[in-house]
Amino acid sequence: MPLEILLILVVGGIAGIAALTWLAGLAQPRQLNEDDATSEWARHYPDDVVQSVWVTHDARAALVMTEQRPGLLWVMGADTVGRHLVDFDLIDEPHGLSVIFHDYTAPKVHLHLDEDERLVWQNLITPQ
Amino acid sequence: MTDILTYPDVVQWAVPFFIAAILIELTWILIKHRGGRYETRDAVTSLIMGAGNVASGILLGFIAWGFFMFLWELTPLDLGTSLWVVAICFVLDDLRYYWVHRFGHRIRWVWASHVNHHSSQHYNLTTALRQTWTGTFTFMMIVRAPLILLGFHPAMVLFCGGLNLIYQFWIHTEAIHRLPRWFESVMNTPSHHRVHHGRNARYLDANYAGVFIIWDKMFGTFVPELDEEKPDYGLVRNLGTFNPIRVAFHEWVGIFHDVTRKGLNWKDRLMYAVAPPGWSHDGSRDTSEQIKQKHLARHPEDAGTPGFQ
Repeated sequence: MPLEILLILVVGGIAGIAALTWLAGLAQPRQLNEDDATSEWARHYPDDVVQSVWVTHDARAALVMTEQRPGLLWVMGADTVGRHLVDFDLIDEPHGLSVIFHDYTAPKVHLHLDEDERLVWQNLITPQ
Repeated sequence: MTDILTYPDVVQWAVPFFIAAILIELTWILIKHRGGRYETRDAVTSLIMGAGNVASGILLGFIAWGFFMFLWELTPLDLGTSLWVVAICFVLDDLRYYWVHRFGHRIRWVWASHVNHHSSQHYNLTTALRQTWTGTFTFMMIVRAPLILLGFHPAMVLFCGGLNLIYQFWIHTEAIHRLPRWFESVMNTPSHHRVHHGRNARYLDANYAGVFIIWDKMFGTFVPELDEEKPDYGLVRNLGTFNPIRVAFHEWVGIFHDVTRKGLNWKDRLMYAVAPPGWSHDGSRDTSEQIKQKHLARHPEDAGTPGFQ
C-alpha cells in the first residue's frame, strides 16, 4: 500500500474513532463512591484488607487506608488505578494537591480538592 | 532456489478493514448497550500503539528480513510456493507464534515488548491494535529460523505471520460470547482470548494460541472461560498513564532500573532481565505462580478448578 494512503488511513482512522467516542460521551470520567473505591482497591490489591476510605468531593480519587499501608486510588478514564503511598512527593497546587510517584508507570496524579478537604488530605498523606 | 518472491503486506492492506470493524463494534455497543466498553483515551492510546507498530515495522523490519535472507542463503532446502506449502507454513508458523507468545509471558525481556498489548483495562477491537514497538529487540525472530532452514521462503513465512495477526484481530471483542462447539474446540476464539487477557489469578499464563487453540490443549496451558468468573482485563499492576511512550517502554525502563540496582550479584542482574515477570531477588514481588498460590490461600475452594490444576 502506498505510504501516503496508509498515513491518511491511520491518521483519519484515529481521529474519526476518537471523535466518535467523544461525541458518544465515552470520554466522561468515572465517578467513585466509598463502596466502589473499596471494591476497586480489592481488585487491584487482593492481599490488602481495607479499613477505611476517603473519597474526594469530586469523586475522582480515594485515599484507602489498609491494614498493610495507605494507598491512593484514582480514576483513569472509565477505570481506576491504585498505588500504595510509598516513595512519592506531595506538591501544593492552586486547586488541590499533586502526588508525584517515583514510578514510570504512574508518574503523577492531580487531586482536585476543596479548601477544607485539602488540609485533611495533606495531613493524611504527607510522606513520612 | 526461489530468491525473489513477494507477497502483499497483508497487515497494511487490512488497515481499512480494522477501522471499519472498530466502527461496527462501537456502533453495536452504543445501540445495544452491551458487548463491551469503549473509552476515548484508552482507544486512542491503543490506536497510536498500532500505528507505532506499523512504523517500527517499516523502520526496523530490515533487521529481521536480513537475518531471514541470511538463513535462506544457508539452507539447501526449498519447498517451493504451492498452496499446500503455504498452508503447512501457516500451521507451523502458528506453532511458532504459540511459543514466542509463551516466551513473551514467561521471560521478562520478551514481556517488556509484549506487555503493552495487555496494558488496557478494556477489551475491544482497538485493544487488538495495541501492539509492540520494540519486538525487534526481543530477538524472537530466532524462533522463525527452523521454518526458513526447512525450506519455507522468508516472504512466505512473513506472509503467514501477517495472516495470523489479522486472524487475531477479530477475537479481541466482548460482542461475541461463544461460537459453535466444534469451532471453539479447534480455533482460538473471543472466549479463549478473553481468558488470555484476564488478570484474574485463574486466567494468568493461559491460552497463548494465535489461530489454533489446539496448541494450548497440547502443551497444557488451556483454561476455558468460566461464566461465573468474568475476565478482569489489564495488568496485575495496571498502568496509571495513557502516554503511549510510557506504555511502549515502561517495562524496559523497569528492567534497566532493576538490572542497575546497587548491591546485586551478576546472577540476580541477569535474572531481573530473563526470569518470569514478577521475579525479584528479595521476594518482594509476586510471579504468576505466587499470585495463584496466594489466591488459593484466600479461596481454597478453587483448588482443582480450571486455572488452578
